[in-house]
Amino acid sequence: MKLLTKITIWYIAIVAIIMVVTMLIARHNLELENKQAEIERLTDRNNGIAEQIKTGGLSSVHLEGEALTITKWAGPIPSSKTTVEENTVFNKHIGRDEHKITVNSFYQSGSDVYKISSHNYITLIWSSILQSLAMKLLPIILCIVIAASLISRYMLSPFRKTLEALRSFNITERKQLELAPTTTKEFKELNLFVKDMTDKAIAEYATIKEFSENASHELQTPLAVVQSKLELLTGTNIDETQAALMADMQNAIEKLSRINRSLTLLTKLENHEFVPSDIKFCRIVKDQLALYEDRLSLKQITIQQQLDKNIHTHMHPALAEILVGNLLSNAIRHNIEGGAIVVTLTQQQLRISNTGLPPELPTDELFQRFKKSNQSADSTGLGLAIVKQICMASNFTARYEYDGGWHHLMIFFDKNVNRSEVVTAVKEQVEETVLQRS
Amino acid sequence: MKVLLVEDNKELAESISDYLRGEGYLIEKAHTVYDAEDKLIAFSYDCILLDLMLPDGNGIDLLRSIKQDKINSGVLIISAKDALDDKVAGLEDGADDYITKPFHLSELHARLKAIYRRKKLDGSNAVVFNDISLDTNRMEVMVNDALLDVTRKEYDLLLYFIINKDRVLSRQAIATHLWGDQADDLANFDFVYQHVKNLRKKISAAKGNDYIETVYGVGYKFNSLKQA
Repeated sequence: MKLLTKITIWYIAIVAIIMVVTMLIARHNLELENKQAEIERLTDRNNGIAEQIKTGGLSSVHLEGEALTITKWAGPIPSSKTTVEENTVFNKHIGRDEHKITVNSFYQSGSDVYKISSHNYITLIWSSILQSLAMKLLPIILCIVIAASLISRYMLSPFRKTLEALRSFNITERKQLELAPTTTKEFKELNLFVKDMTDKAIAEYATIKEFSENASHELQTPLAVVQSKLELLTGTNIDETQAALMADMQNAIEKLSRINRSLTLLTKLENHEFVPSDIKFCRIVKDQLALYEDRLSLKQITIQQQLDKNIHTHMHPALAEILVGNLLSNAIRHNIEGGAIVVTLTQQQLRISNTGLPPELPTDELFQRFKKSNQSADSTGLGLAIVKQICMASNFTARYEYDGGWHHLMIFFDKNVNRSEVVTAVKEQVEETVLQRS
Repeated sequence: MKVLLVEDNKELAESISDYLRGEGYLIEKAHTVYDAEDKLIAFSYDCILLDLMLPDGNGIDLLRSIKQDKINSGVLIISAKDALDDKVAGLEDGADDYITKPFHLSELHARLKAIYRRKKLDGSNAVVFNDISLDTNRMEVMVNDALLDVTRKEYDLLLYFIINKDRVLSRQAIATHLWGDQADDLANFDFVYQHVKNLRKKISAAKGNDYIETVYGVGYKFNSLKQA
């Protein structure tokens, strides 16, 4: 529910309650005043009648049609000379209750005590009160609703502008947030806070980016020193044992450097530092396949390609190369001698299937960093993590399945594609291929 | 060949100049942009090895001023940053090649040689060693004046061996040379082994001298003194 609607509802509710309460109080006071006036009037009339009785000037003519009774009172005169009775009488003719007020006055005339009672009806009708309540409330509600929508458009506009600015805020652009000036205290505070936060985020982002680049630089240089010294050392007169030790060292340095590079790449991917452009993905797949040709033939792996033409994707070209390269090198590394690889590229997906030993880990865990099957302890264990991260950066989904001796790695270009259908289709297709091969 | 090495890390600069001196190069070292500019005014060089991050400035700026002054030296950028932007910027600004740290000295040498050849500074596109000769334009190998049928990788491998002859080349160095960034796992050693084996077989079949020998545990060496 909109904030404005909430405020309006609350406001109307409060106004309505206040109006009902004040109405009740007003009615009560009105009734009281009315009654008091009536009692005074009736008492005064009783006194007038009594006076006339005393002077003997009262005739029955005077009393004709008057709501007045004069009775003789047996007993002494009551201590309060005037009493008031109130009761509600149902009037059959007009069909409603009437409030009847009776004033009894007692007078001593010689030895006799007279009681003069006069009465009248006062009426306060509820329906008219309710009617006037409604007549007041309706225009008030209408005014509130209209005023609220008009004023909010003006009052809340800085808030909306801030929201809009936040929505379009992109930390990788490192552009400071521009917020519209406002005179409202709360919005001023909000803008100040938002500006502070985003500026801080930009600064932190720059620091992290700088750090990751510097870390890479600072690490790569000493690594280069060690590697070059080791290479010079290898060129000197060394025996076999020393050579073996140096080879181990070189392996370790190589690996260290690769892990460092991969981690830097992952950081950059997470920071969205690669600006995508429209590329011909099919071209990149072809080029990468050509680059791996010699290794495929050396391992006697047969490769089957079903590449559709004109496949365009929106991503950084270097990332596309890394993505396809990583998948292909995985398919080769985890393959068996004389195995097979099937590469399929359609508008929806890139699929690389290869023969190989069953995975030792659940297939979805292999996308995590440093998770790898033991059979290839030589790899950095970051290849698939990079694949996953590139997919995330490019709005693709990656999926890995193992089925009957075949590893399938699938990259779906469209996130909305129904994956279960595609996966079933893939299995059928690969089974066909297997049958053809055997 | 005269080379100016601009690198702020003294140990690394020492390694590079050691290696290249061993190959018969004349090396001068500069550790800062200031040093380098000074040397460039006074002398001319065939090639400049240029680190990008220097204590008193950026190598890219130095590169721009080199190109502005129309200094006709080949430029090979050495950088710890494999940031794609740096690579592209460096090449756009007129660098001839780009190598990222850490690198193998043999690789650096091969790249340097390639720049030298491309610029035709020695006026030839042939690399000849005794009975083996390579045409770097056509990427062809002749053994005893007969054309040898080699794959692209085998050609690359042989050229790499001859350029770094009498040096021990580790399997990592060979793998990196053959596959570059894609030499991403050590399983590639099997492929190095097979490529070397195939190359040796082909040369021997053409009655060529088999100069390549295995250095146990480390890699291979093109032994120029080896006689059949």
